[in-house]
Amino acid sequence: MQSPDAIVIGAGIVGASSALSLTNAGLKVLVIDRGAVSSGTTGAGEGNILVSDKDPGPELTLALRSRDLWFEMQEDVGDTFELEAKGGVVVARNEDGPLLKLAAEQSEHGVRIQKLDHASLHELEPYLHPEFHSGVFYPQDAQCQPMLAAAQVIRTVIARGGEFISQAKVTRIIVENGSVAGVETSQGIFRAPIIVNATGTWAGELAEMAGSHLPIAPRKGFILVTEPTKKYVFHKVYDSDYVSNVASSDADLQTSTVVEGTRSGTILIGASRERIGFDGSMNYEILRRLAAQATSLFPVLRDVQLLRAYRGFRPYAPDHLPVIGEDSKIRGLWHSAGHEGAGIGLAPGSAALITDAILGRESFMDGSPFSPHRFATVSL
Amino acid sequence: MSNQISFTFNGVTVQCEEGQSIAAAVINSGTLALRKTRFGEEPRSIFCGIGICFDCVVVVDGVANQRSCLITAKADMNIESGS
Amino acid sequence: MSDYGEGRYEYREWLMIIVIGAGPAGLAAAEAASRNGSEVALIDSASRLGGQYWRHRSQVSGYRSNRADLLFAKVRGAASITYISEATVWSIEREGELIRVNYLQGGSESSLTAEKLILATGAYDRSLPFPGWDQPGSMTPGAAQALLKGHGVLAGQSVVVAGTGPFLLPVATGLAEAGASVIGLYEAHSPMRWLLSPQALLLNVSKFAELIYYAGLIRKHRITPRFGRVVSRFDKGQVTISGVNSEFSLKKPSRTIEVDVVAVGWGFSPDLTLGGIAGCKERVDIDGTTVFAVDAQQLSSQKNIWIAGEATGIGGADLSLLEGEIAGLAASGQGISSQLRMARYRKQVFADALKRSYSVKDGWRSWAEKSTVVCRCEEVSLGEIEESVVELGAEDSRTAKLFTRAGMGLCQGRVCSRNVSEIVAGLTKCAVTDEERIASSNRPIAAPIALGLLGDGKK
Repeated sequence: MQSPDAIVIGAGIVGASSALSLTNAGLKVLVIDRGAVSSGTTGAGEGNILVSDKDPGPELTLALRSRDLWFEMQEDVGDTFELEAKGGVVVARNEDGPLLKLAAEQSEHGVRIQKLDHASLHELEPYLHPEFHSGVFYPQDAQCQPMLAAAQVIRTVIARGGEFISQAKVTRIIVENGSVAGVETSQGIFRAPIIVNATGTWAGELAEMAGSHLPIAPRKGFILVTEPTKKYVFHKVYDSDYVSNVASSDADLQTSTVVEGTRSGTILIGASRERIGFDGSMNYEILRRLAAQATSLFPVLRDVQLLRAYRGFRPYAPDHLPVIGEDSKIRGLWHSAGHEGAGIGLAPGSAALITDAILGRESFMDGSPFSPHRFATVSL
Repeated sequence: MSNQISFTFNGVTVQCEEGQSIAAAVINSGTLALRKTRFGEEPRSIFCGIGICFDCVVVVDGVANQRSCLITAKADMNIESGS
Repeated sequence: MSDYGEGRYEYREWLMIIVIGAGPAGLAAAEAASRNGSEVALIDSASRLGGQYWRHRSQVSGYRSNRADLLFAKVRGAASITYISEATVWSIEREGELIRVNYLQGGSESSLTAEKLILATGAYDRSLPFPGWDQPGSMTPGAAQALLKGHGVLAGQSVVVAGTGPFLLPVATGLAEAGASVIGLYEAHSPMRWLLSPQALLLNVSKFAELIYYAGLIRKHRITPRFGRVVSRFDKGQVTISGVNSEFSLKKPSRTIEVDVVAVGWGFSPDLTLGGIAGCKERVDIDGTTVFAVDAQQLSSQKNIWIAGEATGIGGADLSLLEGEIAGLAASGQGISSQLRMARYRKQVFADALKRSYSVKDGWRSWAEKSTVVCRCEEVSLGEIEESVVELGAEDSRTAKLFTRAGMGLCQGRVCSRNVSEIVAGLTKCAVTDEERIASSNRPIAAPIALGLLGDGKK
C-alpha cells in the first residue's frame, strides 16, 4: 500500500473498530499487530456489551452509544460474530437499595430498566436460588463473540482498501518536530501522520516508546468455562455487588459473581480482579471462590463440571475511565486504550469518538473526560 | 465365573459381566453407537477407549458427560445417550 | 491447619513421595523408591495396576507379561507404598516447600501433600483425521486393546488395524488370539526404514526376540501385513485402503473392504497436563512431540518433581521401566548404578530410532476432505479451519481455535490440537513453532470437576 493516512497499532476489538471507523470516513488505514488478530485481551474476553454496570457519567454515555453502534456494525460488516441482545439481570439477595437507586439513576440517563420482583425475577431465571428476592433487568445488555468480531471487522477494513500486517512488533515511534511521522517495526518502516495506539494492556509501553506517558496497568481476571450443559442460565446474571467491584482501586483480589450461558452450551463464570502485574499463573483458590459464588446463585450448577479456566489482563487507568484522545505531548498520536473490562462494549463508541476527533468534527458526546491530557504532569 | 448384572441403555436392558465398563457392555451387546453429537447429531462410539477423547460420553443416572469407557457398569444403572 | 469446608473435601498430609500413574514407569518408580523404606503414595485413575500397557482383567497377557506380575507383586508387597486407585488428579499446587495433589475419588475431592512428586502419566494414541474417522467402528488401536484386555470385549468380529508403529503388532495379534478376524494389517511406512538405524538394533538385540514372537502369531493367524498403505476412508462399515508414498501422500486407492472395526493409530502423544500445571519446562522432541525436559536423574525443571515414561519422550514400556526406576531412586535419595544408566541409554537409542522410522509425514494433511471433522468434540471441519486461516487471518492454532472452537470441547484439544497446528501451518506455509507446540498443551484443569466440589473446597 502507498503511505497510509493512518496506522492503527493493535488488532484487538478496539483497534479493529477504530480502523473500520476511519476507513468508513474515507481514510486509508494500515493495521499492525505484534501478533495476529485478537491476540491480546480481546482473545480472553467474554464478549460483554453492557450498560448495566455503569454509573451515570461519561462512561455510561459512551456505553449507550457504543452499544447501538455494535448493531450498526453488524449491519455494516454482516451477522458474523454472534451479536445478540441477550439482556442482563442484576440480582439482589438481601439489600436491594443500592441496586434500585443505581437503576433509577441509570434510567434517567437513557438506560432501559425493568424492576423485577420475586416472581418476575424467577420467571426470567427459573434456576436462580429462591433466596434472591428482587432484581433489575437491562434489556440493552448484549453479547458477541469478540475474536470473531475483531477478525471480521479487520476483514472488512481490508476489503475496503485497508491493510493488515501481523507479527509486526513496533520498535520505535518516529517523531519529527513534535509530531508523529510513522513507526519502525520488525516488518519494516511505515509512515503516516496519524497513529492510533490501540494496544490495550500494553498501551503504556507504547506511549513510553514515543516519549510520552500513559498510566495503564493490567488487572488480571479469570473465567471459568463449564462442560456443555442443559440451558440453566438465560441471560447474563450478576450479583448486585458487581458494580462496586469494577470501580474499586484496591490492589488485592476482588471477586464478584457473573454467570452466563453461551451458544455452544457452555456456561461462563467470572469475575475476579487482581492487580498483580502480568503474572499469568493459575490460582486455584480464586477458581474455587468463583465456583462457590456461582453455585450460590444457581444451585443446579453444583453438578455441572468445570472444564477449563483461563485468564486475561484488563487494561485500566487509575481513574477507571478509558483513555481516548490525542496525546498530550505528541501531535498525531492518538490513544484508544485502557477500557478495563469494557473494551468490547466500548470499542465502536471509542472508534467513533476518535474518528470525529481526528477529522476535527463534532462527536456524539464531549470526549474530554477521556482525554490523555488528564495524566499530563504540569510543567512549570 | 463372574456375576452377570444388567442395566438399561436408552431404555433397553443390557446384560454384562460385573466389572465391565458401560461402553464395553453396550458394544458387546451389539450396539456400537453410544450417543449423537450435539450440533450435527452424528453417531459416535468409543474412540480412544482410555478416557482421553470424551467421545463415549453418556448420561449416567441423570449426570451428563460421563465417560462410558471408564465407568464400571453397576446393576440397575440408567444410562442414556443424552443430547 | 486450614478449614476445608463441609467435609466433602478430605485433606490428608503425607511425608515423602507421591507417584501419579501406575503403568510401567510409575510402578517402577514406586517400587524403587520403596527399597529404602520411603513412604510412597501411588495414585492412579484406573481400578487396577498396570496403566495402559499392562491393562488386564485377571491376568496380564502378551509378550513378557511375567514382568508385570513380578512388579505388581513387589509393589503390593512393599509396606511403604500406599496404592490409591480410581483417583483422578485434577490439579497440582505448591504449598510452601510441599506439593499438593488434588484428586477426585468416589464422587468427592481429596488431596495429598508430599515433599516430592513423580509424574508417570503415560500417553495415548495419536490420531489423524480421514473421511469417516469419526464414525462408530472407527477407533484407535488403544481402544480395541483396552476393550479386549480390560473388559474382555471384542470391538468387532472383523477388524482392520492400520497406521504406523510397532504397537500395531500386539493389537492385531491380541485381537486375532481372541477370535477376531484381522482382515488387514496396514503399516504406512516401508519395512526398509529400519535400515536408517542399524546401531539401535545392535544395541537392543532382545528386540529381535520380540519381533520373532509377533511374527509367529501373525503367521499363526494368517494375517498378511502390508506396507506403504493407509486407511483413507471409512464409511458405514466400508474401509478404503490406499497406497501412500514415503511422504504419506495418497496414491490410488487399492481396495475397499467390509469390516466392523477399523483401528488406526499413529504412534503416541504423552499427556502433559499435570506436568504443565506444575510448571515443568517442555521441549519438542525429534518427532515434533512436545515432551518434558528432564536431566539424567529424570528431574524436571521444577524442584522436587521428577518425570518418567512417555512424557519425557515416547519410548515404550522398556524405557519407561528404566526411567521410572531411576526417578524413584533419585527421589528417595538412593544411588543409580551405571548399569541402569547404560540400560536406559540403550533403550533411548532404540526409542529415537522408532521415532525416525515411524515418523508421521506431512502428506496426512491431504487425507481429510473439507467436510471431514478435525475437532471431534466441537465438530469443527477442515473447511472451517481453512476458512479461519484464509478468510479470517488466523496464523496459529490458538487463533484458529478462538475462531472455530476447535480444541475447546470436552477433551480440551488432546485429540485435535497438534493436528490443528499442523494444518494451520500447512496453510500459512510457516512451520509450527516450538512455542506453539508447547503452549497448546497448557491446561490448568486436568480433569473435569463438578463446580460444587470445587467450591466446597474453598479455604
